[in-house]
Amino acid sequence: MSEPSEAVAAATPPPPAAPAPPAGRSVTARATLAGAAVSALLVLAIVLGSRFLRDFDSALLPYAVATVFLAFGVAYRYTVWVSSPGARRLFAKGFGSLFSAANFRKAPTALPRMIATYLGFQKFLGARSHARWAAHQLIFWGCILAALITFPLTWGWFTFTSGSGSGPGYEMRIWGFKVLGFDSLNILGWLMFHGLDIAAVLVIPGASYFLWRRMKDRGAITGQRFAYDLLPLILLIVISVTGLLLTFSSIFLHGGGYEFLAILHMVSVVFTLIYIPFGKFFHIVQRPAAVGMQLFKYTGRQDDQVFACKRCGEPVDTAPYVENLRGTMRDLRLGFDAWAEYCPRCKRVLRGNAYLTHVKKGYK
Amino acid sequence: MMGKTIFIDPGRCIGCQACVSACRECDSHRGKSMIHLDYTEPGRSVASLPTVCMHCEDPVAPCAEVCPADAILVTADGVVQQADTTRCIGCANCVNACPFGVPKIDLQAKLQMKCNLCYDRTAYGLAPMCATVCPTGALFYGTVEELRAERPGVQVADSFAFGDVVVSTGVAMVVPADKVQWPVPGGLPVVEINGVDVR
Repeated sequence: MSEPSEAVAAATPPPPAAPAPPAGRSVTARATLAGAAVSALLVLAIVLGSRFLRDFDSALLPYAVATVFLAFGVAYRYTVWVSSPGARRLFAKGFGSLFSAANFRKAPTALPRMIATYLGFQKFLGARSHARWAAHQLIFWGCILAALITFPLTWGWFTFTSGSGSGPGYEMRIWGFKVLGFDSLNILGWLMFHGLDIAAVLVIPGASYFLWRRMKDRGAITGQRFAYDLLPLILLIVISVTGLLLTFSSIFLHGGGYEFLAILHMVSVVFTLIYIPFGKFFHIVQRPAAVGMQLFKYTGRQDDQVFACKRCGEPVDTAPYVENLRGTMRDLRLGFDAWAEYCPRCKRVLRGNAYLTHVKKGYK
Repeated sequence: MMGKTIFIDPGRCIGCQACVSACRECDSHRGKSMIHLDYTEPGRSVASLPTVCMHCEDPVAPCAEVCPADAILVTADGVVQQADTTRCIGCANCVNACPFGVPKIDLQAKLQMKCNLCYDRTAYGLAPMCATVCPTGALFYGTVEELRAERPGVQVADSFAFGDVVVSTGVAMVVPADKVQWPVPGGLPVVEINGVDVR
């Protein structure tokens, strides 16, 4: 067997010294600071947006407090996440591509197209499974609708007031400014007051499909964990069902059981909001990184910066991407970053050749 | 090296592709084979090399380390799982960082997939699909003691050299007795392979 340490010096130049990885304590301190700053900004936005709490609905206080915790948790986890070498480099490249005027001039429609296909319509999920795509779209749009209604409501940013006290004419105000007047008895009024019911109707079948799949699909069952894979689906269903039951109670039961349902609904929503940064729902925050990454690769391809395997000549990826990966590997002190210049098949073939040349000659 | 793991003996591989077909039947990636079977010198040699995920232990899972989305998890038993479908953004960092050339990527689905040691089976004590069907024992699943009970005196290596870096793995390879004290060459550098400079 050859001495690998001698041979590598001939094959690859020594990698540049990697920067010291961020110390755990400094990452924690930065994350805490980011969390505190974002939470403070949100509290300020709530106070100002509700016109110094004049429009703030105190019945929704637990929800508002939960969103402040959510803001802290998301900012904290996000900071920790983008501090890891792989994410940090891709984060920088993604934002670099995003704010590049040259990129915008070359492909002005690239970003909106990617946002629509990756984040909005999630075309990639269709390639995994049409049923999963459909179910995820139901959950996604249901949650978007619910978030657009509830977050501003709990922050006191939206108000619905009636000049006559009991309607049917209502005014919708944002930050105190009138944006819409409508009759609560017409279609628009019905949609306005049942937006969360519509959201629940969208979410329930989507989440139920995924829950069914988690029980039946052996691929999904492999390695699944209750808190990570099942709990989020159960929470979505509980929130949606209790939300619908509130409407059912007020229409058909004359408010019977409303208080109990309201508390159950509130507890499930508050728990979910606080769970978002720490569980499966964090992918909502992470997924936009896919757009940054795709934009980074897309702009590299536009410039014909394709990196070919050094052995077979097949394209590996874009040259800036390969250099970025090698940088990540050096940051992580993985000393074989030169290997990233070969395609996976050539790596395997070269290893096979090395085995039959140096290890087991009879194998040939 | 894990307790029960796969032992690869390329010297026994006849390139029959039974492992490739069986891998497709694995429940965790049904219809898609994750094992690689490469013919190292097609036309000149019948030598073939099956490659499963080596489940790197030190450095632990380079694929997971370079993942920008924290999508690749390593279970307590040392098995490097395939990417979490929720988190994977399809960047291919893992594909190009893996020194063994193992992970695959579906660019349409933006999803990495790789051998997970048939976790749906091995978690319950069953052998992975590839080792179950291999007719020659090129892929053996069990403990090293079980391997030696079948093949007395056989030696295995679980470290691989890539340049001056040695990677220790959970999956091991059969090596001749006089080679066991060195790491198995991983193919890097490539300057001297078969006397051909392929840089």
